[in-house]
Amino acid sequence: MPQQRDHAAGAGAGQGQDIPALVQEGRVHSSIYTDPAIFELEMQRIFYRTWVYIGHTSEVPVEGDFRVRRIGRQPVILARGGDGTVRVLMNRCRHRGSVVCEKESGRTKYFRCWFHGWVYDTTGKLVEVTGREAYGPDFRQDRMGLTPAPRMDEYRGFVFASLTPEGESLRDHLAHAAEMLDFMIDASPTGEIAVDAGVHKTIYKGNWKLVGMDGYHPNFVHASVISVWQRDADSGMGATHREDPFDDKALSRTRDLGNGHCMLDMRQQRMKNYPEYEAFMRKVPGGEEYMRTMIARHGEQRGRLLVALAGDPHVGIFPNMQLINNQIRIINPVSPGESEVQMYAVRLGGVSDAMNETRLRQHESFYGPAGFGSPDDAEIFERVQRGMQCSVDPWIELSRGMGRETVDADGTIVGLITDEVTQRGQARRWRELMTQPA
Amino acid sequence: MDTTDFRVLREVEEFLFHEADLADSHRFDEWLALWTADARYWVPSNEEDIDPSRHISVIYDDFKKLDERMFRLKGRHAHAQAPRSRLARTVSNVRLADFDAERGGTVSSRLVLAEVRLDRQTLWMGKVRHTLVRTGGGFKMKEKWVYLINNDTPMTNLTFIV
Repeated sequence: MPQQRDHAAGAGAGQGQDIPALVQEGRVHSSIYTDPAIFELEMQRIFYRTWVYIGHTSEVPVEGDFRVRRIGRQPVILARGGDGTVRVLMNRCRHRGSVVCEKESGRTKYFRCWFHGWVYDTTGKLVEVTGREAYGPDFRQDRMGLTPAPRMDEYRGFVFASLTPEGESLRDHLAHAAEMLDFMIDASPTGEIAVDAGVHKTIYKGNWKLVGMDGYHPNFVHASVISVWQRDADSGMGATHREDPFDDKALSRTRDLGNGHCMLDMRQQRMKNYPEYEAFMRKVPGGEEYMRTMIARHGEQRGRLLVALAGDPHVGIFPNMQLINNQIRIINPVSPGESEVQMYAVRLGGVSDAMNETRLRQHESFYGPAGFGSPDDAEIFERVQRGMQCSVDPWIELSRGMGRETVDADGTIVGLITDEVTQRGQARRWRELMTQPA
Repeated sequence: MDTTDFRVLREVEEFLFHEADLADSHRFDEWLALWTADARYWVPSNEEDIDPSRHISVIYDDFKKLDERMFRLKGRHAHAQAPRSRLARTVSNVRLADFDAERGGTVSSRLVLAEVRLDRQTLWMGKVRHTLVRTGGGFKMKEKWVYLINNDTPMTNLTFIV
């Protein structure tokens, strides 16, 4: 394709009229990562429209517990009200717009706006207006509570919200990805996780969509970690990454689950290497009992699969959530060239303290600002963002493995582990949402 | 403070300044040699006071992990340190607490660490606590705890020795 035309595709794309031209089969235009006007449109058409992950109900176990989160750039509060119900409330006083909850997390009876002293309870109800008598009869205090997100739903404790009152259900949105979320919850013998083990918050100068699901990069971006695993196969996340899962000869696969959700499907690869992982788990206090309990509860086949996956479906839920290893990851876009990644570590219910502690140490070994893995991901994202400023030949090549992908009976698209099946799935969903009229 | 205490304080300060110099200069092997075999290098996440058995840290290394950390940084593929950060740190407010001149003990200090990498300048600040052990060859570190006061904010890469 001549470069002149390539150039033209990016120009004026901000109004959205050229969106279909920017996302083609096997390649995308780099302006979708760099153009501020496209970023604005992403806020409107993706983050303020579709289901966005907010948090897990275990983060607010007690009445009055709250966590502040974001939907795109909009601040929200995940709160368990005094009535025991979990809500997603817009963090904005109904009077003059100030946030009413400035602490990141805690337990409270009230959200108080200190601009003029209005007070809301933890269900969002406006319980006190200072100088109430100054308002006339049209002022309906009962309609002036904190505005809830127009839609909220949960799947196995994972709370999602949408800022549009109408649209597909959460279950339809998750589709095939729902059973992948199960893999994290069902890694607990009691089917419970506690998202109460802290968070690694990182920030990088790059677009939010660069945090994808990529099975092609580990042997390059994470070569330094792999060299550590070569010294000790049980070290850190090495325990679950036997026999180079990122080689096309491996049994691991890329999988496009639909709706932009995608995964690095490690199931067969982990099962093949089950004996090594079992031997590792035997050395963890409580590990033997854990494996016995899992097989007793789920049967030989699923029990072993759950043990082998170790709660790690390695799945991305479009647009802002990933479940990777022992973490729930939230991706917060800041601007076209800046993003935050928050990595919430998980503790499994019904397992030994030693097993949970082992999992936290495994997480730290790879993730977070000083982990052996995440900083190199962020570094590469920044290099990509800088390189994409070159607009002479602005296409991002995503065609790897296009000629060899297959479609499973359930409609999910499968490729070898280094194939860009996942990136193509995300790009397809991005284009679909970005071209839906308001 | 009598002259003996003053001499010990100076000796401890010299050790801390030496450690800071090795860290600033990315002299990984020499820095690693400052540790005892039962090392604990701990940078908590989110709060100052956490239970590491139930909560993640930014760094919670024993000697083996510390050795792996240095091994990784010395290799050619630690991209977030290519090029390396330029570092200059100040260690101040040094105070001995529960410190025995013959055996060692706990030292608290403050850290101000300037980092420059590519076009970015970052300031890292925190409270530090060392547990030092006197050996035949001078002090060694048994524990180093660093509470970064920004440990609950989104952080850039912290892939050097803090």
